[in-house]
Amino acid sequence: MIQECKTSKAISGMGHSMKRKEDARFIQGKGHYVDDIKLDGMLYMDIVRSPYAYAKIKSIKTEKALATPGVIAVVTGRDLEKYNLHWMPTLMSDTQMVLPTDTVMYQAQEVAAVIASSRYAAADGVEAVEVEYEVMKPVMDPYKSTDPSSPVLRTDKKGKKDNKIWHWEVGDKEKTDKLFETAEVTVKQEIYVPRIHVASIETCGCVADYDKVNNYLTMYMTTQAPHAIRTVIALVAGHVGLTEEKIRVVSPDIGGGFGGKVPVYPGYVIAIAVSFLVGKPIKWIEDRSENLQADSFARDYHITAEMAGTKAGKIQGIRFKVLADHGYTDASANPSKFPAGMFSICTGSYDYDTAFVEADAVYTNKPPGGVAYRCSFRVTEAVQGIERITDRFAQTIGMDPAAFRFKNFIKKEQFPWKSPTGWSYDSGDYQLALHKAMDVIGYDDLRKEQVEKRKKGEIMGIGICSFTEVVGAGPSKDFDILGIKMFDSAEIRVHPTGKALARFGTKSQGQGHETTYAQIIAEELGIPAENIQVEEGDTDTAPYGLGTYASRSTPTAGAAAAVAARKLRDKARKIAAYLLEVSEADLEWEPGKFSVKGAPEKSKTIQEIVFAAYTNHPPGMEAGFEATHYYDPPNLTFPFGSYICVVDIDKETCEIKVRRFVAIDDCGNIINPMIVQGQVHGGLTQGIAPAMYEELIYDEEGNILNGTFMDYLVPTAVESPHWETGHTITPCPHHPIGAKGVGESPTVGAPPAIANAIVDALLPYGITNIDIPITPYKVWKALKEKGVVKAI
Amino acid sequence: MKTTIEKEFVLEQPIAKVWEYLSDPTKIVDCVPGASITEKIDDRNYKGQVTTSFGPVKASYNGEINISELDQTNYNMTLVGKGVDSKGKGSADMTMKGSLVEKQGTTSVKFIMDISIVGMLAQFGARLIKDVSDQLLGQFVNNFKDMLAGKEVDNTMKGSSMVGSVLKSTIGGIFGGDKK
Repeated sequence: MIQECKTSKAISGMGHSMKRKEDARFIQGKGHYVDDIKLDGMLYMDIVRSPYAYAKIKSIKTEKALATPGVIAVVTGRDLEKYNLHWMPTLMSDTQMVLPTDTVMYQAQEVAAVIASSRYAAADGVEAVEVEYEVMKPVMDPYKSTDPSSPVLRTDKKGKKDNKIWHWEVGDKEKTDKLFETAEVTVKQEIYVPRIHVASIETCGCVADYDKVNNYLTMYMTTQAPHAIRTVIALVAGHVGLTEEKIRVVSPDIGGGFGGKVPVYPGYVIAIAVSFLVGKPIKWIEDRSENLQADSFARDYHITAEMAGTKAGKIQGIRFKVLADHGYTDASANPSKFPAGMFSICTGSYDYDTAFVEADAVYTNKPPGGVAYRCSFRVTEAVQGIERITDRFAQTIGMDPAAFRFKNFIKKEQFPWKSPTGWSYDSGDYQLALHKAMDVIGYDDLRKEQVEKRKKGEIMGIGICSFTEVVGAGPSKDFDILGIKMFDSAEIRVHPTGKALARFGTKSQGQGHETTYAQIIAEELGIPAENIQVEEGDTDTAPYGLGTYASRSTPTAGAAAAVAARKLRDKARKIAAYLLEVSEADLEWEPGKFSVKGAPEKSKTIQEIVFAAYTNHPPGMEAGFEATHYYDPPNLTFPFGSYICVVDIDKETCEIKVRRFVAIDDCGNIINPMIVQGQVHGGLTQGIAPAMYEELIYDEEGNILNGTFMDYLVPTAVESPHWETGHTITPCPHHPIGAKGVGESPTVGAPPAIANAIVDALLPYGITNIDIPITPYKVWKALKEKGVVKAI
Repeated sequence: MKTTIEKEFVLEQPIAKVWEYLSDPTKIVDCVPGASITEKIDDRNYKGQVTTSFGPVKASYNGEINISELDQTNYNMTLVGKGVDSKGKGSADMTMKGSLVEKQGTTSVKFIMDISIVGMLAQFGARLIKDVSDQLLGQFVNNFKDMLAGKEVDNTMKGSSMVGSVLKSTIGGIFGGDKK
């Protein structure tokens, strides 16, 4: 399916595989990241971290650290307490220590900060700080967290008597329970979606630069949401005189965000506080271990998934129960009204009207978080749940998983479709996507091959995932963060010579906004994309927006760009009518120019029109050629896709080889096919990661057992299979350019496809589930239990 | 991070002599790699220090040793050690049960050590901590043999050689080689 391009290659509007404008600097090593910033008089910060998961601080001795050459100051929680800066709010209206005054709640928690004249001196200072702890037994198991025998962890919260954070539910409990009592077939499966880390190659960091004379803070930092951060700083530090007009947040080039650069980490706040107190710029850059061990985790959902249906293979309903381990505090980055994010999309791509979904969140002595790792707020967890239980159901009734899906898909003509958990799916063609994936991979032949292989005792599996995402948060009636509505913005200024500068409230971390936003404007205005300069990330210049995460940039800011450009096209029409001395109704638009109907030789190019806006604008009209739009989406968007994975498992070593992986995505109209393909490749690799390699593991004393890249296995090009990608196009009916967002689909869709393939492979041995990450060891253990392989 | 290590070895020495050395922390400490006794509180309680390094992590534990069981008749002893890193980077607890059995003039020594480590060392060395402990114990046994034989004992821990021998034993394990 090839999308028709309405613009010429010279203009490069939508559908052109224009090379990324930003890559010129990235591939030449000329990107400008936060650690590249060096300011006069800048000091360096390093952080003392807790070795214990749960302990009282008896004393912090700083004498030796202060005697270390180059060390200027050591900051503790007691120091920040004097300014009431030792606590901060989380995005979920929970609270979090900036630095502790008396108790540490997880291993690697910040305990004190050392400020020095060089990064080395700061590290030496950290070594010399002596902290005496009284160690307590940590609560590590979320299932035991709510036992009366477990200590209440959040004693800072007055009257808190247990470790529960919240309970959330949606759907019809009574109807669902009744269905499960009477249904012909019910299937139940415990599914753990493990705690993982975004592990972006650039760690987090900042340079806080407070100018005492002008009472003005410039905060250079690795953030996906600069405006939201500015507002949070103003709310937290307003009482010491830092009000919002005196704060500028600059987010330079970012080396991967994936949701991990949405939260406010204590290091940022300490850097600001110290810069405020000493009046010098403070640089703080995490090292790899700090990033992995202390920054927000993702996932960590213990799901009990149930499905009810008929023997003939019709799904009738689902019942999901979740235990969410949030660690020490709820530092998720969800929209405020959605404590479990968009988990209720777990009804999936199937047609039924009964569902009940509930979740309970608890505190443990693990690092806080719950970020949306390349995922629109818990959609990955939801899809893992529904796509695994779907396969379990098909296996239980002995039906082919593809046939089972076809029997239950919501049909193309049923859209917009109201889900039993309240979503209104905007559009879809699930049959087409799965058919296409099956054709590309040769599904029927693979099943025949599998039968032959099984006769020979070889282990081969085929796994399907037909996912539905919900992205683009979001409509203001439901979506806000700390009260700020989740619109996003675009501001377009076209200069007299017809070249443009466009600014956005979002922030690219590798998505290619400098190219795709330019292409959207090129599509609408006919100005060549190469002549449109895109800027983001500086709160002093960019219009207000809530940033880039959860696949929201194209659905919100991308829409804002199109609408703002259309405002300008309307103005251009007026100017063209004036210049050509005809009425507006007599003009015809084609990308890049207006011409008189029936007299195509009488025309004005967009460049001529823009020049006139500055040199010869119609009487009574405002001069200039600028427009701004704040786009409030009427609905979310619902990208979908069908992925099929083929695995071969070595019976001796239990090594799992992904032989083939076909990904058919539907993200609506495509802005840049090359960028979409790149996004899908990266996302699939980040999908294979939790499926086969990644998990943050803690022991019962609270030690993280894989806190470095030595042990935390991030897949590289070596582990990545050959990805076979393709797409279908079902335009979004409510988005100005019919786009839906694609960055996260592959991360969401890949893990269940891989897990389903592996379980499909092992089915003849009576193995019906293995939780991700599915390692050779887990496969070996499962086969050993079934007596298939012998103990070594 | 918890691990249990068991070791059994035979010393060509009479049981009474082995017991005399083994049950006296001030004597035995010279055999423990990187360890020293800093204070004797009473016959059963001592204060001491162990300095160890593994890869990028150097840890110096200040600890207390308590002899919770000292059964001279059956030659059984239990030693409980608790150590805290001097810079607050972590802690280590150890319970060591030792027993001696006389075998035709020689002495069979059996150790069971339960080790629990919290903090930096556990994070970095989780996969190798058992091997490290095993190596340290091996070094201890050699030192102890030398001491009983009246030879000079050097109990400084050599970090680089430690890493080398642990890697060798770990890699040997991967390829199915004999670890011991």
